[in-house]
Amino acid sequence: MSGSRSIVKLALASSPTSVDSARKQPAIQVSNLSIVFESRRGQTIAVDRVSFDVAPGEFVCIVGPSGCGKSTVLNTIAGLEVPFEGDILVEGSPVHGPRPDVGMVFQQPHLFPWKSVRRNIAHGPRMHGKSKTDANAVADDLIAMIGLKRFADAYPNTLSGGMQQRVAIARALANQPRVLLMDEPFGALDAQTRAVMQDNLLELRDRINTTIVFVTHDIDEAIVLADRVLIMSAGPGRILREVAVKLPRPRSSSIMVEPPYLSLKKDCLDVIRAEGLRAFNQSDAS
Amino acid sequence: MQDRTSAPQEIALRVDGRKRRPDSARLRRLNILVGVLSLPLFVGLWELASRSGAVNMVLFPPPTVVAAAVLEWIRSGQFLGDLLASLFRVTTGFIVGGALGILLGILTGQFPVISSLLSPLFHILRPIPPIAFVPIVILWFGLSEAGKLFLVVWGVFFTVWLSTHIGVQKVDRGLIRAALMLGTPRRQMLQEIVLLGALPYIVVGLRTAVSISFYTLVAAELAGTFAGIVYRIEIAQQNMQTGQVMGGLAALGLISFIADRLFAALAERTVWWR
Repeated sequence: MSGSRSIVKLALASSPTSVDSARKQPAIQVSNLSIVFESRRGQTIAVDRVSFDVAPGEFVCIVGPSGCGKSTVLNTIAGLEVPFEGDILVEGSPVHGPRPDVGMVFQQPHLFPWKSVRRNIAHGPRMHGKSKTDANAVADDLIAMIGLKRFADAYPNTLSGGMQQRVAIARALANQPRVLLMDEPFGALDAQTRAVMQDNLLELRDRINTTIVFVTHDIDEAIVLADRVLIMSAGPGRILREVAVKLPRPRSSSIMVEPPYLSLKKDCLDVIRAEGLRAFNQSDAS
Repeated sequence: MQDRTSAPQEIALRVDGRKRRPDSARLRRLNILVGVLSLPLFVGLWELASRSGAVNMVLFPPPTVVAAAVLEWIRSGQFLGDLLASLFRVTTGFIVGGALGILLGILTGQFPVISSLLSPLFHILRPIPPIAFVPIVILWFGLSEAGKLFLVVWGVFFTVWLSTHIGVQKVDRGLIRAALMLGTPRRQMLQEIVLLGALPYIVVGLRTAVSISFYTLVAAELAGTFAGIVYRIEIAQQNMQTGQVMGGLAALGLISFIADRLFAALAERTVWWR
């Protein structure tokens, strides 16, 4: 992290809002979120007046090119990115920092290398005052759910990348968060492992019914997983379009060859292509 | 097309490799044999050289004379006293210097204000070789044990402080973010994440400090004392007992070697997740 950050007030306030303004209170409400990074070179507007809602139990994917601020948006909802301009409410209360009802899975598993799989997963419950026995019981349930019973006492460096990321997901779920944020969690995995992990996540989600916001740069991954896809543009980060994914559930990655899927993908790609062309011409002109 | 041209070469290499395999096994066995014979060979050469008359046997005694001197040293009971005196200085100095180094390394690594206060001072003092402090230590402490400890503590402290400081600063930020998201309170962050994250660096610093504590021991005992391995070497030198001098050096090397190996074994268990 270079330089200090500050906020710039932005006068304009109109922005696209969620199509699906739910009757129930949204799990997440982001309104007019702007984030400015300040470095010696000057100010960079990373995120520009982004607004969206996520309904309880909804699975939303944010896609966009690298550097579009999608991870920054996610980190801000997590309470890891301050300061920011605008309002973020999770379960109706404003975000000031990391909170127990919001879990996060990062691109790297970031498992504690000195803790076994069980103790990694039990860490959250332990920090929230659960006894060792109770925390281990929670961990063992989750270990069974992610299919790693044989590795409960193994240390992270003995696990494959995919297994490590499964542990990281289980660790985030151990606190029973209302909202799970996932920042390109499968980005560092190979294509095969990635497909398996996507199917695992779909299966897992049908069981736990947590609200999920998932950031990725892979449009296929976004459509396979999400109920709704938010497409972001770079420089500054804005939401270009939201696409509702009305594909039947339970799903698996095999829907990727079916016509409704393909037409959705075409819609998304058209938006991305138009934006890419615009950005390219703009950089050419300057 | 490239494939076709490189193919014959590849085959040639493979044939070559197959021919070499028994050779490499023989080479490995030869290496082990040479390794085993290395020390006896040099000791034998030393014995021959000393007794050949080409050198002065008083100044360059053969290993048999050195061994006799060491045996006498042990039999007289002085060896035990010297050993205990030296070990006491090294271990006490190591523990005190190491503990201070870890404590202050965590403080300067974790809290920028404390680092701004202390780091400049430490960086100025650290490069001064501990041996250079001998004269002032004699002025301050005379020939007391406190002076000896001061020198060893001084040498150990800076090494351990620096490695702890760096270790704490190098703790993976990702781990800290993950721990924050899991609800780890700031207070527990130090013991749960920072200390363990820095542990591999701290252990490396402590291991370096083991040899440093022996360097500084030499300076401390040469500064004047009444018992100790290096003290015995100095006394033997004044009496022209070259065998005893060499025996003392060998003992010092052996103790330092054992200390390093013991610490390495301990270190492996300390960083248990590797």
